[in-house]
Amino acid sequence: MSGYIIRRVIAIPVMLLVLSFILFLLIWTLPGDAAFAGALSISETGNYDVARERFGLDRPWFVQYADWLGGIFVGDFGESLTPPHDSIMGSVKERLPKTIEVGLVTILLSAVISVPVGVISAVRRNKPEDYLLRTVTILGISVPNFWIGTLIIVYSFVWFSWNPIKDWVDFTEDPLKNLAIVIFPAGILAFAGAAYTARIMRSAMLEVLYSDHVRTARAKGLRERVVIFRHVFRSALIPVLTVLGLQLGSILGGAVVAEQIFAIPGMGLFALERIRARDYTALLMIVMIFATMFMFVTLLVDILYTYVDPRIRY
Amino acid sequence: MSEAAETATAGALLEQEYSIPPRQRFNPLRWALREPAGALSVLIILAVGFMAGGASLLNTTNPQALDAFTADVLEGPGGDHYFGTDRQGKDVWSSVLYGGRISLKISVATVLVGTVGGTLLALIAGFIGGLADFGLSRIADILFAVPALLLAMIMDIVLVDKLPDLPALPAEELARVLAIAFFFMPGAFRIMRGSVLEQRSAQYVEAATLIGAGRWRIMLRHILPNITGLMIVLTTISLPAAILTEATLSFLLGSSAPSWGAELSGESRQFFNRAPWIAIFPGAALALTVFAFNIFGDSIRDTLDPRLRGRI
Repeated sequence: MSGYIIRRVIAIPVMLLVLSFILFLLIWTLPGDAAFAGALSISETGNYDVARERFGLDRPWFVQYADWLGGIFVGDFGESLTPPHDSIMGSVKERLPKTIEVGLVTILLSAVISVPVGVISAVRRNKPEDYLLRTVTILGISVPNFWIGTLIIVYSFVWFSWNPIKDWVDFTEDPLKNLAIVIFPAGILAFAGAAYTARIMRSAMLEVLYSDHVRTARAKGLRERVVIFRHVFRSALIPVLTVLGLQLGSILGGAVVAEQIFAIPGMGLFALERIRARDYTALLMIVMIFATMFMFVTLLVDILYTYVDPRIRY
Repeated sequence: MSEAAETATAGALLEQEYSIPPRQRFNPLRWALREPAGALSVLIILAVGFMAGGASLLNTTNPQALDAFTADVLEGPGGDHYFGTDRQGKDVWSSVLYGGRISLKISVATVLVGTVGGTLLALIAGFIGGLADFGLSRIADILFAVPALLLAMIMDIVLVDKLPDLPALPAEELARVLAIAFFFMPGAFRIMRGSVLEQRSAQYVEAATLIGAGRWRIMLRHILPNITGLMIVLTTISLPAAILTEATLSFLLGSSAPSWGAELSGESRQFFNRAPWIAIFPGAALALTVFAFNIFGDSIRDTLDPRLRGRI
């Protein structure tokens, strides 16, 4: 068990290294640095050559890569290619906690909604409730979250003359106000996430519902509630746990949309701004941070498995 | 009994025992009765396809033409403008129909590139094995860790200046196709690789090897046909996600041609409070299309291979 975890933990930096190399190759070696020209033409110097030199872009790409990599180890994330050339580390420190908060609330909402929906849908299979819930879940994965978010903003104004709160408030400052801000982006992200997870929960429950050990449990006269919760529910949780873990990736991606619509100054909005500015150094760092978080969460999920299902040993 | 007669009897017995039931002809009506939701979704998809394809015949003005800009700014739905007009006096009904063309074109191209690319890589990984398989699988693992939407956005801006205009696909749309296909490839690769490995150890492959078929022949003539069903399912199931991703990318990054996502972004947003119809109709068209494709994908999967339920 611990050997496996140690191996997994060691694999993470190796994978991150390969990822950074792939991204660097992708961005830095494609023919023509028109993209950089775009970024630099609006830089403070206004002079392309000076700007290239200032950011070391005149060096071969592998030297730049080595330089970038060296910086990571001493905690230097570099500076933005585009004005105001602020340190990327500073922006990340300020923005990451907000995105993590939105992400956690999303996962929580998603789990709280999807698990009961999936259970009811499976237990009442092919009954009206099941059809209703299945239609709603397909709607949930079909309706674009940016549309829902937009409609929420538009109609809360049209009907109630109310606008979502614009200025960010930290949780430590005013928990209620903070949650009133976070609930909107987290809600629209959780809507799609919960729909997807509920579908998984339903099919996982169905798979277990007709297995031998459940028939045995029924045959020995256990009450249906005990059968469902002790015997079916626990086994069905495993795939759901995986999906919830994997959803983190789509939540971080979705953060771009949700933060843009509700003006949350988090990593998602940061990513979007940097993309529009063609600021590749910042983007590289954002991708690396998201990938690191994702890898650690998947590791955590794998460790959690052993608690949910003691048969799983590494 | 003569030897010939014996062979004939044995042959008849064999045929009896291993007789393959006559292949059932696909009957659309029977399928529609068994999968009513699927049949309904087909109707919706056909309607959407017809409306997008025949947009010019359905009382529209091409939103990219000059006469699309009229003086009827921000008019509500009704009369000549079924879905109202936007801030530049453009007919929203026309934008929705023409936007559907672009959205469908890009997402279909995306899914084809993604699934075919993923399958080819899976065949390579499954057949060359060794280092190629290890390398491709690890790269897929690594790409999985990056939020796909973010990666697609970066690919989009990296590629857009570097691609040529193709006859049917301008560089901007081509970049979007490749960016979203890149988003799908790791997943398609993983699923198809599993299937290739499963088929490779099947008995018919062993038989083909025994009669001396080469590696390429086995790969293309024996395995590829056997994984085509899965490929079709994967394509239909990925299509709604591709439509959504395309819309999200045009929402976030904009697009010069009308597209369902782009209608909801940019300057128009300031007018949504006064004219909600600008926001409602493109989004509703998008949601309806994705909904229909999701249901269609589910019933195709259940029809072609019910064992896949819950797996993809």
